[in-house]
Amino acid sequence: MTPLQTKVAELFENGTITLMIGFKSALTKLPVPFFFNTASQVEQLIFTPECKGNLSVYLHKPEVKQAKKVGLLANISTLRALVQLTSENQLGDIEKTVLTMNAQNEVVVFENMDEVEVYVQANFPEYSEEDKKLLEQLNAMTRTERWQYWTDQFSACVKCYACRAVCPMCYCSSCTVECNQPQWIKVSSETSGNLEWHTTRAMHLAGRCINCGECGRICPVGIPVHLLTAQMNLDIEKEFGAKTGFSCHSGYALNTFKAGDKEQFIK
Amino acid sequence: MEIKNIKSSDIPAFFNQLIGSGKVVLAPVLKKSGKVFFEPVQAYSQVATDYIQTGFSAKSVVFPKVEVLFSYTKTEEGIELKDSIADIPETVVWGLRPCDGSAFNYMTEFFLKENPDAYYAARKEKTTLITVSCAKADNACFCTSVDLNPGSTSGSDVLLTLMGEDTYVEVMTPKGKAAIDTSAALFTASEEKNKDEYLAKIDVKFSMEEIKEHIKTAYDSVEWKNVSMGCFGCGACAFSCPTCSCFDIQDEGTQNKGQRLRCWDSCGFGLFTKHNSGHNPKTNQTERRRQRLMHKFKYSVENLGIVSCVGCGRCIRVCPAHLNIFENILSVTE
Repeated sequence: MTPLQTKVAELFENGTITLMIGFKSALTKLPVPFFFNTASQVEQLIFTPECKGNLSVYLHKPEVKQAKKVGLLANISTLRALVQLTSENQLGDIEKTVLTMNAQNEVVVFENMDEVEVYVQANFPEYSEEDKKLLEQLNAMTRTERWQYWTDQFSACVKCYACRAVCPMCYCSSCTVECNQPQWIKVSSETSGNLEWHTTRAMHLAGRCINCGECGRICPVGIPVHLLTAQMNLDIEKEFGAKTGFSCHSGYALNTFKAGDKEQFIK
Repeated sequence: MEIKNIKSSDIPAFFNQLIGSGKVVLAPVLKKSGKVFFEPVQAYSQVATDYIQTGFSAKSVVFPKVEVLFSYTKTEEGIELKDSIADIPETVVWGLRPCDGSAFNYMTEFFLKENPDAYYAARKEKTTLITVSCAKADNACFCTSVDLNPGSTSGSDVLLTLMGEDTYVEVMTPKGKAAIDTSAALFTASEEKNKDEYLAKIDVKFSMEEIKEHIKTAYDSVEWKNVSMGCFGCGACAFSCPTCSCFDIQDEGTQNKGQRLRCWDSCGFGLFTKHNSGHNPKTNQTERRRQRLMHKFKYSVENLGIVSCVGCGRCIRVCPAHLNIFENILSVTE
């Protein structure tokens, strides 16, 4: 057994957890999120660089909320999501034990969210070189060019909503696209309605997206949809000095008011 | 069936001749994202040749992501209705894989067997499928487990198999013959050849006969939860699937002008089974994923006599959670 497997088995045996959300390998060699229920299953648990999925999404599942004690295997994006979710008061009822593997390949078990926060701040992820390059290209465009770029991209969207499904910050129990009285966004997939959907989602995630990039990575059409919220995070950081998924206590920029804020309209 | 030969170097000329025939030609195109999708093309130079499978299937040619069923306009004289069937163009799909070709067999049964669907019928009638055998496969491919193979002709109008300098041409239908006849001079008669050495080798993952038998009692398997808990509930698998044919009818417009649409839907969505009363008989992702897999391997066999999975592997490749349909179906039928 690997040190991680040993640790998780121990957590099962001493009653710390009754459910472990982690990864196991599959025939296609890609890691599959898996819900471990007993220590005997733990031999299948893996944690490799390919384990990119953000497992914090599953904390919103009713089955997980019902489980009493949940273990969660977290990469840095997942940890960042946990910090952001905590700041938005979304994890209150879940008794969770969070684990990761640090740069020295040691198992880290966090005692509480404050420890997660310290770890995240010490290991805060940078934008990837590829994303930096893409954002530079987008920002170098004129407004018209940029509009054309996104119009072209979103014309191919099929509204499978995988971007929403994998997003740890998309936790609304009923999404705006599921509302049909009134219908805010068309059900059919065509360019203007698709743009409407992605704009709505981006605005809703502005300053909340934790830059895990999952929405872009998993889009079956290959739309780099994560760039919308990635850019908004840069803007929010510039305007408000706020980083997303950085502090468990700061709330998020567009939802808080400080006496020193330069905007006057709210006073 | 008629067997022909064409020089592989003459394929572009044949292709461009098809374009010259005035039909819409859809072919695999490599996009900036690195993925390959069917798109209307104007010349062979745009066509991707080095791909294992297209990102989405060719089903949209007969079952578009949004089909306008009719449109209406209120005028001073009354209400003007416009049926969109007349607008459906003659189309050639080039370069689909044999699994996708055979998927049309299921789609035709589904749309035409009990209550024939005029839109599907018109589209299918105007579509010619020129399939290309697979020389390569990846670890998501499993056509050989669902009684197909990388050189299956089933469902296709023409199957092309590249054999080095020559390309082996199996002309399966009159529509296929008509397509070949656009470049009759390029084709010569050929004797029957064994394609095996030119086809991808794909391991058999399971015995279809055993699965068909064991799935009869799989509904209550405790494994469904294990294989489905990771499902995020998106529609990527259903939308990329060549046989997923569920749809949602939507009216869009105002009282003066609008249209009725048929849009792709997915049984993975929470809204899919939600009743008007608010009751939802499928309350979680485990039940929804079970529905999808049972439909492929059990319900479609009961209703239409066809296993509606063709082993194309798309749902495996696009799944954000990397859920694997053949691995899962094995788990629940063990």
